[in-house]
Amino acid sequence: MSREVKGMTGDEAVAWAAKLVNPDVVAAYPITPQTIIVERYSDFVNNGEVDTSFIPVESEHSAMSACVGASLTGARVFTASASAGLALMYEILYVASGMRCPIVLAIANRAFSAPINIHGECTDQVVCRDTSWVSLFGESAQEAYDETILSFKIAEHPDVMLPAMFGIEGFIVTHALERVETLSKQQVEDFLPEYRSTKYRFNPDEKMTFGSLVLQDYYMEIKRQQEEAMQRAYTVTKDVMAEFSEMSGRKMEIIEEYQLEDADYAFVSYGATAGNAKAVVDRLRNKGEKVGALKIRLYRPFPSLDVQEALSGVKAASILDRSATFGSPGTIMQTDIATALYGKENVPTLHGYINGLGGRVLTLPEIEDIYEKTKDYHDVGMTMTTDWIGYRT
Amino acid sequence: MEKKEAPDEFKRWVSEKWGSSKLPLGGTVPYHTAYAYKTGDWSAFKAYIDKDKCISCMNCYYYCPDSAIIMDDNLKAECDLEFCKGCAICAKNCPADAIEMLRVTR
Repeated sequence: MSREVKGMTGDEAVAWAAKLVNPDVVAAYPITPQTIIVERYSDFVNNGEVDTSFIPVESEHSAMSACVGASLTGARVFTASASAGLALMYEILYVASGMRCPIVLAIANRAFSAPINIHGECTDQVVCRDTSWVSLFGESAQEAYDETILSFKIAEHPDVMLPAMFGIEGFIVTHALERVETLSKQQVEDFLPEYRSTKYRFNPDEKMTFGSLVLQDYYMEIKRQQEEAMQRAYTVTKDVMAEFSEMSGRKMEIIEEYQLEDADYAFVSYGATAGNAKAVVDRLRNKGEKVGALKIRLYRPFPSLDVQEALSGVKAASILDRSATFGSPGTIMQTDIATALYGKENVPTLHGYINGLGGRVLTLPEIEDIYEKTKDYHDVGMTMTTDWIGYRT
Repeated sequence: MEKKEAPDEFKRWVSEKWGSSKLPLGGTVPYHTAYAYKTGDWSAFKAYIDKDKCISCMNCYYYCPDSAIIMDDNLKAECDLEFCKGCAICAKNCPADAIEMLRVTR
């Protein structure tokens, strides 16, 4: 299969992939480092290269509200945000998932204020873990490109009908120029059929009430539907990624295992950090260390079983978490992994490392230090530790 | 007064107490007005109107925030108990003292 290759930044990759999807409505508000997605996409709209109605709104709260309204008509809807913008959307994230709107949201992960900072950090997305959105992380511009397309397929699946978000780290991925293998318009059209379920959408022939008041007597039933849809989203995501891999020729799975088969120690990470972790695995393997890396691509629904299987037999895992949490029993990803592994046999000790906040670089030597630290913790019998790495005291 | 009915499907949800596997997605319900969806089942008090005392001033009719007061064919006030929320504004504003608020016991 001949592949076309282009140089793109992460943001551009998202915009170009969205162009192939050609959503009916895009409502977005610019925020660094997501701005380029919206800028490029509005170019496409202006030049008539897409059929999208572009709604330039006055805030992210309005952006997501407009997306919900559009999605309820059955339209295919896309938007993008980051950090403070995502936080402003937060209220409507629940409305979107509660009203079962399969909106796709690209996030250029950025640190929260204060102090104000525009650089990469995944906190903005991981704190949306309970919003009932399918949540994916991408490591590179290529994954940003691919996840843009497959997110629509997961979200719109009749068994799911939930919104989906995917994140790439601000500047580290969004603004770095990378090699991206592109897809053709035909490939995307075949992968993502125009037909979508129109049940419970606005319809001139059938009068419905949306967003009605639901109190004690029915609320839990409606919320339970979301949980069941989330559980189905796990299988659907696996299937969609398998189908996507076949179509694109690029392997895409909910978790990615790197040199884990015989590993005694493992790095667990998500997003851009996974690339560095794999580089360190190569370095350490050259020194004869039995180490591997696990990348978590699907964050919600959390792939508990896959993580458990991947880490089975590993002695100790270092969890590299580029997100901040305070007063927590572990890093955000660590607490999820600990829950998934609790009470199971053959599980590693878990050592969480909060790193890279506000775009700080986590260097390869630092990851090697983390490796040594984890080994020390493990050797003295500590089963669960959490540290901050890469700051001055 | 013409009584409009809720759609059959909706009445079945309520009578059969549908759960998560049967209810429509996202709390979407068949469209209807308040004629079909009774909203007063939670009130602690209800307005009882003594038609013999009623002087047809229509104060209660205009004051009722929920339009639960209906004027009957003889222009006497009547309360639709399926919508009355028991706020007692009608009773306060009745110049003839014809409205009594009674505690609902369930």
